[in-house]
Amino acid sequence: MSVLKEWIFTTDHKKVGLLYLIGSMAAFAFAGFSALMMRAELSSIGPTITNNPGDYNVWLYFHGAAMILGFQIPALTGFLANYLVPLQIGAKDVAFPRINALSVWLFYMGLILALLTFVVPDPPDVMWTGYPPYSTITFANTALYTFTVLLLGFASILGGVNFLTTIAFMRAPGIGWNQLNMFTWCTFAAFILQLIFVPVLGTAVTLISLDKYLGTHFFDPSSGGDVLVYQNLFWFYSHPAVYVILLPFIGIVFDIVATFARNRIFNYKAAVYGGVGGILLLAGEVWIHHLYVTGMPDWIRVGQMVTTLLISIPVGLLFISLVGTLYKGSISFETPMLYALSVVFLMLIGGLTGIPLAIVSLTLHVSDTYYIPGHFHYVMAVAGTFAIFGGVYYLFPKFTGKMYNEFVGKLAFWITFVGVNVIFFPMMIVGVTEGMPRRYWDYAQFPGAEPYQYWMTVGAAIIGVGFLLVLFNWIHALFAGPKAGNNPWGSRSLEWTTTSPPLDHGNWEEVPKIEEGWGPYEYGTEKT
Amino acid sequence: MRNNRLHRAFTALPFVALPGGASAEFESIVEKVEDPAAGFDHLWFEVMVDITIIGVIFALLALYFLFRYRRRSPGEEGTQKPLSNLNIIGWALIPAFVFMADDFYMAAKGWQLYDTYRRVPENSLEVKLESAMWTWDYTYPNGVKTYNELRVPAGQPVVLRMTSRDTIHSHFIPDFRIKEDSMPGRVTYMWFYPQKPGEHIVSCAEYCGQLHSRMYGKVIVMPRGEFDSWYQAEAAKLDVKLTKLSDNRGAGQK
Amino acid sequence: MSNHAHAHEHGPILTPWPLVISIGILAMIPLAFIFKFSYHNSFAAILSLGIGAPLCIIGVIGWVREAIGGDELSQGLGFGAMGWFILAEALIFLPGFATYWVLRLSAESWPPPGSVDMPQLMPVIMTVVLVSSSLTIHKAEGLLEAGDVAGFRKWLAATMLLGLSFLLMSIYEWNHLFHLGFTIDVNVFSSSFFSLTGLHGSHVFVGLGIFLAIMIPAMSGKINHTFVRTGSLYWHFVDIIWFFVVSQLYFW
Ligand code: HEA
Ligand code: HEA
Ligand code: CUA
Ligand SMILES: [Cu+2]
Repeated sequence: MSVLKEWIFTTDHKKVGLLYLIGSMAAFAFAGFSALMMRAELSSIGPTITNNPGDYNVWLYFHGAAMILGFQIPALTGFLANYLVPLQIGAKDVAFPRINALSVWLFYMGLILALLTFVVPDPPDVMWTGYPPYSTITFANTALYTFTVLLLGFASILGGVNFLTTIAFMRAPGIGWNQLNMFTWCTFAAFILQLIFVPVLGTAVTLISLDKYLGTHFFDPSSGGDVLVYQNLFWFYSHPAVYVILLPFIGIVFDIVATFARNRIFNYKAAVYGGVGGILLLAGEVWIHHLYVTGMPDWIRVGQMVTTLLISIPVGLLFISLVGTLYKGSISFETPMLYALSVVFLMLIGGLTGIPLAIVSLTLHVSDTYYIPGHFHYVMAVAGTFAIFGGVYYLFPKFTGKMYNEFVGKLAFWITFVGVNVIFFPMMIVGVTEGMPRRYWDYAQFPGAEPYQYWMTVGAAIIGVGFLLVLFNWIHALFAGPKAGNNPWGSRSLEWTTTSPPLDHGNWEEVPKIEEGWGPYEYGTEKT
Repeated sequence: MRNNRLHRAFTALPFVALPGGASAEFESIVEKVEDPAAGFDHLWFEVMVDITIIGVIFALLALYFLFRYRRRSPGEEGTQKPLSNLNIIGWALIPAFVFMADDFYMAAKGWQLYDTYRRVPENSLEVKLESAMWTWDYTYPNGVKTYNELRVPAGQPVVLRMTSRDTIHSHFIPDFRIKEDSMPGRVTYMWFYPQKPGEHIVSCAEYCGQLHSRMYGKVIVMPRGEFDSWYQAEAAKLDVKLTKLSDNRGAGQK
Repeated sequence: MSNHAHAHEHGPILTPWPLVISIGILAMIPLAFIFKFSYHNSFAAILSLGIGAPLCIIGVIGWVREAIGGDELSQGLGFGAMGWFILAEALIFLPGFATYWVLRLSAESWPPPGSVDMPQLMPVIMTVVLVSSSLTIHKAEGLLEAGDVAGFRKWLAATMLLGLSFLLMSIYEWNHLFHLGFTIDVNVFSSSFFSLTGLHGSHVFVGLGIFLAIMIPAMSGKINHTFVRTGSLYWHFVDIIWFFVVSQLYFW
């Protein structure tokens, strides 16, 4: 009983972080399950496991919404940020522990709403984008979508308020802005984006429920409303949201790569001020690239083609620093490092395939085809998920005090690595060459797509096995893993100076003193 | 079909060094009308080559480092030195300008093609499209209506003026590399250039509910003469209907 | 380190209130709304409202009682954090206004058919009331800094009174418009009008809630200065937003 109380009444940032981990992994498992259902349905032409397209649409709605809002954003800005940031800046906790607890419980309430999709009559079928007028004329339960987004969004805003304050004011004496871990920097930037853009999404989804249930006319052209206003508001948030995912995941990859290469970040300042800063500056000016085929005025489309392409500059700077960190390193290849390194390659594929999408004339063909899921699964679902899994492996010895099994870890990694490429590369090909549109329950008019679809399903099955193995490895290690040391990876970063697991309250007996010239990546110098 | 060329563009990627993969099949330019679909295939291939080169450079460099700097003894640490200020700035600005140059190059190319996509040729056949859950309704200039079947003559550009009765749909013709949403309250347009007789799938590309995946029809490109006779025959039927209608109405008023 | 010793004495903070409030919010807003409007089940809606609202209130009371003593690590950071929160709040209003501007500027004629003449006197009075409440809370804050707790309580009470009368006038105003047949579903103007004034009104309501949470402990002399400054900053923000609401919706 008292253990239970310790968890559900906790305000400790580490426990809150782990609660976020559990919730987001549950979301991942459910959303992954609905992905498997979708894949099974698509494995061949004609009704395969359901002859009701409505079922498919609900799975797809849940898959998209839960993966982004319930899994990735909470895993990155909930779990990793909560667990790591205070440790990396030498703080005893976050600025507002109670608000932190409120944030995680609101997240759980949002998850409960999201999961209601599977039990209520008329579950939402509006896709994770919820475009009106469809979302306002469907018989399905759009309110569930609205409130899921609102609760998860509000949880995120509270997290933002908390972490921006924490990082700005609670760094241990002696840690300056140029001595922050890349992950902390990226979290800082990601929360600025959340704070600015989530409220816009909140308003947008509220307006569709007002339209649907209270009879307002915001998106109803027959009474002077405008259907495109919603899409603008939605993508005004949801494009920056992809950087809310990208930033922390590239941040944790930086930390892992630096640790396992035991090396300085190459050109840290360019990565922080050029890369992270540049993304912050550009993130809000490119949303029209999701509206290339909606009849927006031509000059806006062309203008935002240019801004979208320019995003490659800050991301490119991050890549130079990332690859440069390997230069003259001392690289070892444990499981977290395998995940982190694979992110470099997968993110190259995913990011670079965004470039043709940014070019408006090319998007006229590929928009809303399977090329799009191909692009974003590489960059988000694969690179992002691998970064999160790498992060969990990386921190596993810290938060459990136990070591996972290296062999099973690597095996599972290679299985999933093969699996994701088998599923997501064909997606891009079938999108361009066959023109297979997305969000299709069936594709009789595109017979050429069948072999690709078949192999994607095979790939999905492979991934499923891989993730089960991961889960098995973690659970096994949690109960029967060998004891891990305080700093198994030989990192110089602050979070590894505590015990494993860290002290319940306050993290350290005494917060380590920061020496002149200390930095989280000062490898190759005298150890102090 | 065009698909094959794209297919080749994709599979040819690893062999970009082999020259002329795509240009072999360059079509002679007999018509004055610029076909955006051909422009698409061309630019697509070019951009694919561009991003493949960038990706391969980064990937090879990373792989080389991974091999060259693997850890040899447990206690070893990396030996990278901090950069000088000049180096910091150089390593930020020079790549930034290189990337920017590439971005602007692609943007210029993209814009050019986009112009072609959006500038409707003078002699186009203008057809009105009204979409609805789940059908495409076309109306020709002379009032002929068809459903889920757009018959057009070969050799004449076609422009669609589109709107929708209920929700958003997207008129997507993969073979002509073009789609554009149709929605209530706005009129959007798209044009394409059917050159040879044949049939092409039109499929809805914007999620529109239960039967989104079943919302498809055909563009039927007919030889000029055949089209003209079909068009006139339909118009004649229409005339009959119209006169009948007005007869009835006349009768009612009396 | 004294801070550290302090932490050990008390152990980690354990508090049920965040969980209680979260459950309360879930029942009070999403579930009640969904029962009422998606499933047309008013009984279930009222039931879940009846569960949710008390949970929220109990949760807030419990939270305030615990935190007013100021055991947070973050003494003094609340004010800065409110700055971030206000940024987010401003961006809740901005898209609402943006939508209104887009619809208005693309309309063929304005006001759209079905609109009525907007009252002119009432909004002026409401503005005066809200502005004076901003002044009174400022005054209260000043007295608190100077150590005059009794004076602080008096001016805080005045602020709350002004805020409350603002809300009452809003309700009167809405009622008046309803009677003229101007309801939320008439046209795009009424949609914007009621959504924006409603959103603003709910912020006034929350502001009053914050003041209540300051006032009750203050009766027995428990005052957390950061909390007061933070609450007053929020109130000023709500006041500023009102200028946008009133100028865009009534006088444009
Ligand atoms: C984490 C998530 C994530 C990230 C990081 C990105 C990154 C990018 N995305 Fe992606 N995108 C999504 C998630 C993401 N995207 C999702 C979820 C959707 C679909 C949503 C939906 O409709 O459901 C989408 C859709 C989407 C579209 C809309 C397609 C459509 O619906 O029609 C476009 C169009 O421009 C686009 C472009 C880009 C670009 C240009 C980047 C850039 O940021 C990429 C930059 C990176 C690189 C370029 C690689 C590294 C750089 C170098 C090696 C330097 C040198 C390179 C050059 C000079 C080119 N994306
Ligand atoms: C982060 C985001 C994310 C992730 C990780 C994934 C993961 C996957 N996605 Fe997802 N997908 C989206 C985000 C994501 N997707 C979005 C936003 C859309 C668009 C939605 C829309 O159109 O509105 C989409 C759409 C989408 C489509 C397009 C459907 C269509 O347009 O008709 C398809 C089709 O194959 C698909 C498949 C998959 C598959 C097979 C996986 C697999 O990688 C999943 C693998 C996971 C599992 C198989 C679960 C296994 C887990 C266990 C067995 C338990 C183990 C538990 C632990 C380890 C804790 N997705
Ligand atoms: Cu019509 Cu999809
Ligand atoms: Cu985007």
